Amino acid sequence: MRPIAWPLLVISSVLALAAAGTAAVRPRYGGTLRIMLRETSVSLDPARLSAVQGARIFPLMFEGLTRFDAHGRLQPELATRWQSDSSNQHWQFWLRPGVKFHDGTPLTAEAASASLRAANPSWRVSADGDSVVIETAAPDVELPAELALPRNGIARHAGNKVVGTGAFAVSDWQPGRSLALTANEDYWGGRPFVDSVVVTLGQNWRQQMVALELGKADVVEVAPEQARRLSSAGRTITESAANELVALVFTREPQSADETRVRQALSAAIDRASIVNVLLQGQGLAADTILPNWMTGYAMLFAEAGQHTGNVDAGPVTGTMTLSYDASDPANQLIAERVALNARDAGISVQTAASAANADARLVRIALASPQPQLALQVVAGATGLAIPQFQGTAPEELYEREKEMLQSGRIFPVAHVPEAAAIAPGVNGWRADLSGGWQLADVWLGSTP
Amino acid sequence: MSFRRKLLLMFTLTVFVAVAAVAWTVSVITRRAFEQSEQERTQALVAQFHREFNRRGQEVASRVDAIAGSEAAARMALDLSRQPGNAGAYVNEAPSEAKAQQLDFLEFADAGGGIISSAQWPAKFGYKEPLLANVSQPSVNAFLKREELPNGAALGLFAVRTIRMGDKALYVIGGRRLDQEFLASLELPAGTRAMLYTAGGATYSPGALVDAAGRVPQAEKLQPLVERVQSTGAEQSSVVSWSSDSADSENVDAIPLKTEQGELLGMLLVANSRRALVAVEARIRSASLLVAGLALVVAIVVSSWMAARVTRPVEQLAEAAREVAAGNWHAQVQVDASDELGEMANAFNRMTEELTEQRERLVQAERVAAWRELARRLAHELKNPLFPLQITVENLLKAREHGGEQFDEVFRESASTLLAEISNLKTIIGRFSEFSRMPQPQLQAVDINQLVRNVLQVHQAQLAAEGRPVIAIELQLDDTLGKVAADPELLHRALANLVLNAIDAMPRGGTLTLRTRAGADSFFIEVSDTGTGLSKEECDRLFTPYYTTKEHGTGLGLAIAQSVVSDHQGRITVKSARGQGTTFVIELPRRREDAAQFSARTG
Repeated sequence: MRPIAWPLLVISSVLALAAAGTAAVRPRYGGTLRIMLRETSVSLDPARLSAVQGARIFPLMFEGLTRFDAHGRLQPELATRWQSDSSNQHWQFWLRPGVKFHDGTPLTAEAASASLRAANPSWRVSADGDSVVIETAAPDVELPAELALPRNGIARHAGNKVVGTGAFAVSDWQPGRSLALTANEDYWGGRPFVDSVVVTLGQNWRQQMVALELGKADVVEVAPEQARRLSSAGRTITESAANELVALVFTREPQSADETRVRQALSAAIDRASIVNVLLQGQGLAADTILPNWMTGYAMLFAEAGQHTGNVDAGPVTGTMTLSYDASDPANQLIAERVALNARDAGISVQTAASAANADARLVRIALASPQPQLALQVVAGATGLAIPQFQGTAPEELYEREKEMLQSGRIFPVAHVPEAAAIAPGVNGWRADLSGGWQLADVWLGSTP
Repeated sequence: MSFRRKLLLMFTLTVFVAVAAVAWTVSVITRRAFEQSEQERTQALVAQFHREFNRRGQEVASRVDAIAGSEAAARMALDLSRQPGNAGAYVNEAPSEAKAQQLDFLEFADAGGGIISSAQWPAKFGYKEPLLANVSQPSVNAFLKREELPNGAALGLFAVRTIRMGDKALYVIGGRRLDQEFLASLELPAGTRAMLYTAGGATYSPGALVDAAGRVPQAEKLQPLVERVQSTGAEQSSVVSWSSDSADSENVDAIPLKTEQGELLGMLLVANSRRALVAVEARIRSASLLVAGLALVVAIVVSSWMAARVTRPVEQLAEAAREVAAGNWHAQVQVDASDELGEMANAFNRMTEELTEQRERLVQAERVAAWRELARRLAHELKNPLFPLQITVENLLKAREHGGEQFDEVFRESASTLLAEISNLKTIIGRFSEFSRMPQPQLQAVDINQLVRNVLQVHQAQLAAEGRPVIAIELQLDDTLGKVAADPELLHRALANLVLNAIDAMPRGGTLTLRTRAGADSFFIEVSDTGTGLSKEECDRLFTPYYTTKEHGTGLGLAIAQSVVSDHQGRITVKSARGQGTTFVIELPRRREDAAQFSARTG
């Protein structure tokens, strides 16, 4: 039961929050929802996103052929159904009828095909009547899940604008600074409650919290380690499942058995429990695996096998290892320094540096992007420069083997899985976040509750 | 070098050395006084630093006191005494408290010494604080400590306070960093600066030396001073030169920074610029040099005047002596002094007067002797013809008295004899007349070697006469001699006299050698015989007119030869010794230009 305990807990809390809101009063239309984010997007073209980007705001404007629901199950979106041949290389998706882009243009198979081709040049995408046919060079059982990624949102280039079919349309765009969205009156899923959404970009956690305190923002991101303190202070905090991986990623393969042993000793020396309990203030889980247990259910196998626990003799170590971190994330810096301290205890010299280009290793925080474990593993591999694992099917055994291979490569050493948290102003109702951290703003409405 | 210059140099040197010695002495005494003043100033600065250091320590202690006495710290101590496992909730407590109290270092540690929260190294929670592990009862005073940081170690002034909740303790360890910001915060007098050496151990690390501006350039120059402190553990001072410019130097005092246990953690270096001191010394030196220079100029002027005054009589004496040497025996010195120089001048004047009188007497005596010799020679020369004349006249008178046929015959014979003797007298008188009328040389280009051959040719018949002992002729002529300017007739006559004398000197035969040779500015003609030779006295008088060693000589041959040679601006000498023959050497100036001129004129 442990693998599913976390998601159920989170989902139940989110649903309870939403139910409480809806049960109290009827939803109201109108108002502007003000959101602040740390990210600094400079383009609204989904095709230019990486696999781990865009989960917050792109789904508001651009919908994929598929989507994951709040339970992490794959659901139809712009495609109503799909099928593949036995080789899993030839896929066909039938489009939802009556869907229009924000500029009024009907969604066609040609438009969807063009959008997918731009985002995935290696695919052969074609229109077949009211369906889109996708052919891949290798079997790809995760293709429907992949189409749910924000980067595969269907977009149409109208002049110098990019328009989608989502619940909100772009009314103003200041690259890297702000984004103004207006409710899509013709949305096939029904008009959202709020009239508009204003997103301010490039705001750090401190700026966001100050804005929330001053009533200048309705929804802000919260550093996980601050969640407990803010919750104790009476703030409404929502958390996703632990869907971010904090890991130590080496920039190159180990060149010798000694180097492999040093890396293993370094990983074994990391006091993951202290990092989670103190630095992350208990918000997260110590990680021995790339994928969290709620996603796979087999994490205990790695722990039992002693994959990353126990003492490993580093042997004689010469030189100093450089570990870089994201200086804009205070917790990331503290974790890196703690890793360096733990490494020193194991006789390994580690020097921390902010965003060093020629560092030996990086401490990264990677969004797992998808509740689908195979796809999540591929996303992590792609984000860290590891070989992308290929799957023949969806069997857990194969997933386990691929993850084990990645861990044994000596390139990636998980430290923790942490959730994404957000603080919500009192007037925001109907808030709902999915497992992958996406926000379902179409159901949010503004108004004071009794 | 003249006597006046020597005297001038001596006076000048004496004055210069005296002035230089005085200037040097004044300079040294003044410099030492200023250096002592600088040392005292540096010591005062060091004492001020000690006070400032203590004040900073008290300030740190009071700030740590404030934190330990705060409500937040008490709440934390209370919470942890009840729930020790809740330490993780306070991991961010130290950074905010440190910021509020403007401390660089702040740690909260539990009773076991485990760090709960660290401002300087937030990731270090849970680790043991070494200070608490080694010390059972922390000091109440501020102390120095080396603090480990993520990027190395740093020195700091620390204070520790304990918050007790029942039997549980919470330690508050706060401190200020000793770094370049600390140095920049110190108020220093102009010309001084403070440096901090933050490395421990016994080896020198130049990179660990900083001042308020950052790393100290040329830090290696402070290595000897730092190493002295490291070896002795006590405060040391030294003068450090930063460049070849002596003004670019500092008096540096190194104060060791130690833990309470005496471990050397680093040192504080207080540097006091010597630029002002060097400037003062330079001004003193310039003034000394100026005074010495002026003294030297004055010394030269005064010495010149004194040297001139002292040496003027000496120079007059020297000039008069030179005139005497040149033949002016009438030279006199005008000296007014009554000292030793005046006496010397008077003696010189008396000496020249005496010499003049003696020379006149000698000339008079020589003139009388010459007249006597002339009279003697004339009497001798005239007496010989006069005796036959007397006998002939007496025979003629006797024959006239006896009459007869024999008278005519006697008359004819007597007349013939008388004429012969009268002729002889004429010859004698002619030779004397000729000597008195020696002509001036008429110079022309003359081949000397040919001249020598011609002279020998004239006497060839005489040498080859029947019954005469054999005289061998040897010619050693220098073919490089060429033509020279000379009067050929006069030179021929002089050379003929010498050859004739040589032949007469070898009545039993011998070797006659004629030799010519060229010198640098003159040429030589030598006539040597292998006769009996001459005594030294004979050599000395040989060229005196009318002096002869021969029985029938007039004593004019060598006098004529000397006269000819003298008229050619040359000289004739004789080298002789008894039994070894005699050599006459004629030395004449070459006068090449004249010879060439004459040659061109005659050719």
